[in-house]
Amino acid sequence: MDVSYPERAEAFRAEVRAFLAASLPPGWRGLGALAPGERRDFERAWRATLAEHNLLAVSWPAEYGGAGLSDIEQVVRSEEFERAGAPTGTENDGFGIGLLGNTLLVAGTEEQKRYFLPRILSGEHVWCQGYSEPDAGSDLAGVLTKATLDGEVWVINGQKIWTSAGATANWIFVIARTDPDVPKHRGLSFLLVPIDQPGVEVRPIRNAAGYDLFCEVFFTDARTPAGHVVGGVNNGWSTAMTLLGFERGAEVTTDPIRYRRDLDRLLELARERGRDAEPGIRDELAWCYARVEIMRYRGYRGLTRFLAGARPGADGAISKLVWSEYFQRYTELAMEILGLDALAPPGAGNGGALKVADAGTDNSARCWAEEFLHARAGTIYAGSSQIQRTVIGEQLLGLPREPRLDGGPFRDIGKPAATPALGG
Amino acid sequence: MFFDYSAEQQDFRDSLRKLVADRAPLSAVRARLGDAHDPDLWRTVCDEMALLTLAVPERYGGGGFSLEETAIAVAELGRGLAPVPLFEAVLAIEAILRTGTEAQRQELLPGLLSGERIAVAAMAGPDGFDPGTKPVIASPASPAGAASPASPAGAASPASPAGAAPPGHVLTGSLRHVLRAHVADLLIVPALTPDGPALFVAERTAPGVTVSEPGSSFDLTRPVCAVALDAVPAVRLGDGTGPGLDDLLDVGRTLLAAEMTAAAEACLDAAVEYAKHRVQFNRAIGSFQAVKHGSAQLAVEIDAARAAADWAAMLATAGDPGLRTSALIAKAQAAETFTACAGWNIQVHGGIGFTWEHDAHLYLRRAKADEALFGSTARHRAMLADRVGL
Repeated sequence: MDVSYPERAEAFRAEVRAFLAASLPPGWRGLGALAPGERRDFERAWRATLAEHNLLAVSWPAEYGGAGLSDIEQVVRSEEFERAGAPTGTENDGFGIGLLGNTLLVAGTEEQKRYFLPRILSGEHVWCQGYSEPDAGSDLAGVLTKATLDGEVWVINGQKIWTSAGATANWIFVIARTDPDVPKHRGLSFLLVPIDQPGVEVRPIRNAAGYDLFCEVFFTDARTPAGHVVGGVNNGWSTAMTLLGFERGAEVTTDPIRYRRDLDRLLELARERGRDAEPGIRDELAWCYARVEIMRYRGYRGLTRFLAGARPGADGAISKLVWSEYFQRYTELAMEILGLDALAPPGAGNGGALKVADAGTDNSARCWAEEFLHARAGTIYAGSSQIQRTVIGEQLLGLPREPRLDGGPFRDIGKPAATPALGG
Repeated sequence: MFFDYSAEQQDFRDSLRKLVADRAPLSAVRARLGDAHDPDLWRTVCDEMALLTLAVPERYGGGGFSLEETAIAVAELGRGLAPVPLFEAVLAIEAILRTGTEAQRQELLPGLLSGERIAVAAMAGPDGFDPGTKPVIASPASPAGAASPASPAGAASPASPAGAAPPGHVLTGSLRHVLRAHVADLLIVPALTPDGPALFVAERTAPGVTVSEPGSSFDLTRPVCAVALDAVPAVRLGDGTGPGLDDLLDVGRTLLAAEMTAAAEACLDAAVEYAKHRVQFNRAIGSFQAVKHGSAQLAVEIDAARAAADWAAMLATAGDPGLRTSALIAKAQAAETFTACAGWNIQVHGGIGFTWEHDAHLYLRRAKADEALFGSTARHRAMLADRVGL
């Protein structure tokens, strides 16, 4: 075993470092150190710089606007940006490039790749994800949003919810029901839908920490061309799962960097408040340190398998559980260290960071309090901990599935089973 | 960039798993509760499989593999609670390799690598010493006294070069927890000298050595013995300038973590297998989320333990100083995971899991015994906090 990176990856790392040193503003401490107003301007300008230097989609083929390098360069780019506390794009890029773009590369038609990928990179199309619905959360295949073909266009009706960064997007990828007469997983299609049209309305939802990070999206006779279906009509479940594979594979080596940075902040907090020598706190801090190291080790193993062409199945479920459960445990520890200071936490907040605070964010009580609140979401979104444990139990351990009550044609689910007539 | 088992390592692991299944199924392990030693299996392990030689350089008769392969071997035999002193002997050999002089290695290793003579490392506590007793004291042997400074291996290899043995000592004290000392020919004993702790080699049959029967061990498949030393002639390993006891303990933790992770897997496998077939409420109990999710959570912890154990084995192989932290992380993670899995196996089995006849308690006993070795889990985290400067 040997975790040194190949020479070409290290050469690329040097290039990335040189780029960061030359391009980040003098005295850069991280996105979190910018005032809210400066932040938006910086992000806009920074994204343009990344696009210009071909650093948004390092592993995409050059013919679609990527840098034409391989997966390991993409990983190296993300690692170095994370170390520098520099964003690799906007939050919407996570959906446009990280999820949809990568999915189009494997499941899209040539025409779709040529049309959409360059527009994602140029920033003309800004994406968000239309998966969950009010009545279809963990049971994603139970979505009710309906799409029907009317000549050359899909007509869409329904509602999506928990749409992160929906307010800044102008396109949304949607899982919609296109055939209610077959079992639930078989009648879905994966559609690409423009938001800037009368039939789509996006409304922000304030989260429990007080930030407007996600939205609900209403579709009322919304329209999109018939060709904007990815992976084939009624084959949307497969496309949706391909996309989730990217969601769970991308952060294996950057997550440990991020969590380590945040643990260092927590250590500083414990020291500042004279709590670091308390045996209980110290034991918990050491546990946290060990857990972040284990994330790092797992990251190298995940990367080994990723580079060998494997895509995470149950392994992705394990990664998700590890980081999200850790996130809650160490933000609980932060609250314990704050003590009564958590009752009226002073200082700046966490800027609405969904995971750990951005580099450079104030090490304030309020930041930790908000991070603690956001950690509650980590075990819910992107597949709840319970769903992940079911995946691990069934796919990795081979335990039997539960008896299901949702078989048969989708439109009959929940209706009373036909019973033989009583009496004569 | 490769952090996983190579194809060769996987083949090696599979062949060992087959060996253990054929030669040391749990029924055979149970037949030997008590001395927990199968001399035939030991010969196979040493002669045919050459498992003691893996991490030993070829110039000492070793196989030229590494501690990664050694960890795999310790793990696979530990997975089945196999009745052979592999872990103990490997650690003793590592002690000689790491702290012995060139002459001591030349002299001691050949007999040990063949398995003909068994050395065990008498190390149990967080610093190697037995926390239950006063430390063993080493004092210089009187030049003309009965305690000859001759090498303890001298009897086995009378041709040892003159002057190879450093000045002799005598050891006095007692150890209450020496793994498998009842099958040992040589004891590697940590003892206090005027210039600090050091490792010594003593013959088990030397005058002044008393080794108890392994009668009352909690771990029925890896018993401990009490060892009393009364002015026992012994030779100090090395000249006091080499790497210390701490490095060796970290190697021990690394190997133990590999063993515990594999044994934890054996427990979860047994629980899952049972849950697939045990029917209650007209369903296999493994279809209930209470059982499924509990099992899945342990699979997550096993995965973490495996990553940590493999990482530590990789660093131990490379001689990387990062082992000082990763060995602690690996051992702590593996200990918690193994105990949790051993307990879960009993829980999923229900009443049958709490019978003497069922194998589940053998694993729970091993888990708790392993957990206490080289320091408790809380102690490991405290040491980690110290070593990384928390």
